[in-house]
Amino acid sequence: MKVELRNVNKSFGKIKAVKNVNFTLQGGEIHALLGENGAGKSTLMNILGGVLPPDEGEIYLDGERVIFESPAESLDAGIAFIHQELNLINDLAVYENLFIGHELKRKNGLLDIERMCQKTREILDRMEIDLDPKTMVRDLDTSYKQIVEISRALLMNAAVIIMDEPTSSLTNSEIQRVFEMMRVLKGQGVGFVFISHKLNEVLQIADRYTILRDGMKVAEGEVSEVTTEDLAHMMVGHEVRTMALQRARVRGHEVLRGEGLTSNDTFRDISFSVKAGEVLSFTGLLGDGRSELFQSIFGAGEDYTGKIYFEGKQIKIQNPTHALSYGIGYLPRNRKENGIIKDMTTLENGTIVIWPQNAKFGFIDFDYQNRLFDTQVKNLNIKMGNKNDPITSLSGGNQQKIVLAKWLNIQPKLLILDNPTQGIDVGAKEEIYDIIHDLADQGVAIIVLFSEAQEVVRICDRALVMFHGELNGELTGETMSEHNIMRLATGASLNSMKENNRHD
Amino acid sequence: MISMVKNNSKNLVKWFRNRWRTKLQFSTAVALILMILLQTLALGFDFDSPGDWFGTWIQNWINILRNNASIGIVALGMTFVILSGGIDLAVGSTVVAVGAFIMVLIDVGPQGILSNLGITGWPVYIIAILLGLLLGALLGEFNGILITYGKLPPFIATLGTMKIFRSVTQHFMQGYNPEVPRAFLNIASVRIGGQLLMPIIYWLILAAVLYVVSLKTTFGRQVTAVGSNEKATRLSGVNVDKIKRRVYTLMGLLVSVAAIVQVSRIGAMDYANAGSGYEMDAISSVIVGGTSMSGGKGTIIGTVLGTLIIAVMNNLLNLIGVPPFLREAFKGVIVIGAVLLQKKESNA
Repeated sequence: MKVELRNVNKSFGKIKAVKNVNFTLQGGEIHALLGENGAGKSTLMNILGGVLPPDEGEIYLDGERVIFESPAESLDAGIAFIHQELNLINDLAVYENLFIGHELKRKNGLLDIERMCQKTREILDRMEIDLDPKTMVRDLDTSYKQIVEISRALLMNAAVIIMDEPTSSLTNSEIQRVFEMMRVLKGQGVGFVFISHKLNEVLQIADRYTILRDGMKVAEGEVSEVTTEDLAHMMVGHEVRTMALQRARVRGHEVLRGEGLTSNDTFRDISFSVKAGEVLSFTGLLGDGRSELFQSIFGAGEDYTGKIYFEGKQIKIQNPTHALSYGIGYLPRNRKENGIIKDMTTLENGTIVIWPQNAKFGFIDFDYQNRLFDTQVKNLNIKMGNKNDPITSLSGGNQQKIVLAKWLNIQPKLLILDNPTQGIDVGAKEEIYDIIHDLADQGVAIIVLFSEAQEVVRICDRALVMFHGELNGELTGETMSEHNIMRLATGASLNSMKENNRHD
Repeated sequence: MISMVKNNSKNLVKWFRNRWRTKLQFSTAVALILMILLQTLALGFDFDSPGDWFGTWIQNWINILRNNASIGIVALGMTFVILSGGIDLAVGSTVVAVGAFIMVLIDVGPQGILSNLGITGWPVYIIAILLGLLLGALLGEFNGILITYGKLPPFIATLGTMKIFRSVTQHFMQGYNPEVPRAFLNIASVRIGGQLLMPIIYWLILAAVLYVVSLKTTFGRQVTAVGSNEKATRLSGVNVDKIKRRVYTLMGLLVSVAAIVQVSRIGAMDYANAGSGYEMDAISSVIVGGTSMSGGKGTIIGTVLGTLIIAVMNNLLNLIGVPPFLREAFKGVIVIGAVLLQKKESNA
């Protein structure tokens, strides 16, 4: 099925989110839709998916004009929208999730489980996926959950599938599984719109691309004719830095040392140390235990055994309040869930950590809070409207800077950053990298948990790679390459790597 | 604003719609004003002697406020509880427990504890009030401990203590009818200009204090933060458990004030029924006032307005002669209507 969007316009209040965009998707094509956050990708796809009505413009399916007034109408026409947050019910089986809302019944009114399983199997076979329809969704890993979502779309006879950042929570091997399935379906004539921030994946899987910037289409073409640098350039509208950002600086005293840190299931026998002015990375694949490790160290996770030394003194942090008193800051992963407090203002989000500071009889010293906040806004180059507007009125990158700002107010000695660039656009990422190094210059010890090997190589002084809850190796300087990081992260050992190098 | 209103009616409608959508308290206030207009109509206007009419109107209002002061005070505490993402079903039972405890302390009959110790007069009342407040705070703290250390959902923890507090009170007060000294009644019943105003004064003072607390103090803002996103708040170095315990302790304290007002107004207590339904009435006031049941959104002013809406409605139903059994149904309609309205707003 050929999908065409012609001259689509959409405004929210005064903001024009989509301006005169034309977009064409052929059947059997994987079409990457690219752009920074706020470029209008989601708005455009929400229009195609029937979630939002366009202010102006038309949608044509195989040359015929259609008007979608609800997601259901769009789905009936064969367009399925798979959102980033998967829409599955964990406590139901795969086939139940597929047939929810239009269950097959026997003549006597009871559910026809056999026929539903049969149909489910047919669809899974079509994607060349081996999965028991009676598996509980809870027991599936994220890639299979994606596949269940796609199966549901196929059950509804979807000819076009919109996937919004499908790979953001997948490991490498899971991504490959999803890609293979996409290729199989593509061969059967299914068209995909693939929204992603990961440009190397775009090169891997997509046939064509369309780039939006500030609501306008700025480029489209064949993926085979471009590089990731070209795409990034077109997305942001100017050259993108790719150089290494490490800076030469004197390391100070040891700030944090862990010895034999072990928690039942998630991490085992982790020892490390980080110095003032050092940017140390912990990296690995999803489920390697690094997030859990630092949640525990910060006093917000599972209990653990082993010893923690802070500036030479053995301590055990009981809770985040305790960590705060040592001058340890922590930027959690998943900003929406763990970072921002959505009902509160930007100012409140940026100062919550220091409310008790300078408070008299429990009354917050708003002058003091305002002063510190304004300083951070300036230092971190945070772009926002009124500071008393809700935090949710800011872009992702600026929200993340606010979460960071609340910790900078206490002048931390140690900052733990878990995936600080998650879901923010290229420009904001670069700014965060610079902030990390500015802080290290000021003598802050920084532990940063990255999931992208590329970021580790560009940003960090030293990398510790985890695999299944254990430290699998340390990389610095020359040896700290994307290749070596991936090898360690997938379980190969440093020794075997050296042997391999010798063979080369 | 005034020039806008004068401008033309279209602008007025626009201004009104805009306010209605953006300010949660605006719609609550509008609802209250409508209710008051209806109530005034129901009261009837006397063109021959407007002065007398006004006197009746005021008197009616004083009655409304006084009759709802206890619920109003409990609803203030409930606002903090619900803002923090919790619920407290034990408030009615806590009223009975604290009320009974105070009556035992001030009893001037043969079994009176303090009078048997030879302490009489004002010192007794001060001791009784302080110990009553302490008991309320401790019972609240107990709820808080169950919820934080016990990791129980607030609904379950306070459902349990609701049963425990009342049942234990009833057991100990079996066949014991304390004699409340007349002087104690002055706490709520001393007349100012011939009017019983004390409960209203306590309510308004507490509302003003808690309004400031909710907006200007570390505690108040942290409560809102906990209700909005507990995880992010904990990860911001806020001691979430401590905040929660304090919320329930504050609730207990306010319930004690309500209990003191009750004892000193009536001078007796029906342990089986006193305070029953308080939890639901207080929760209703908070919800009608625009506070979200999932926490993080809501205000003290909203709750005061919410309490008044329900109070004025009751008064109105009374004035127009709606049968008593039907009145609860109207309360239900108001609660459901208020939430439907708020839902619409958040979708807009």
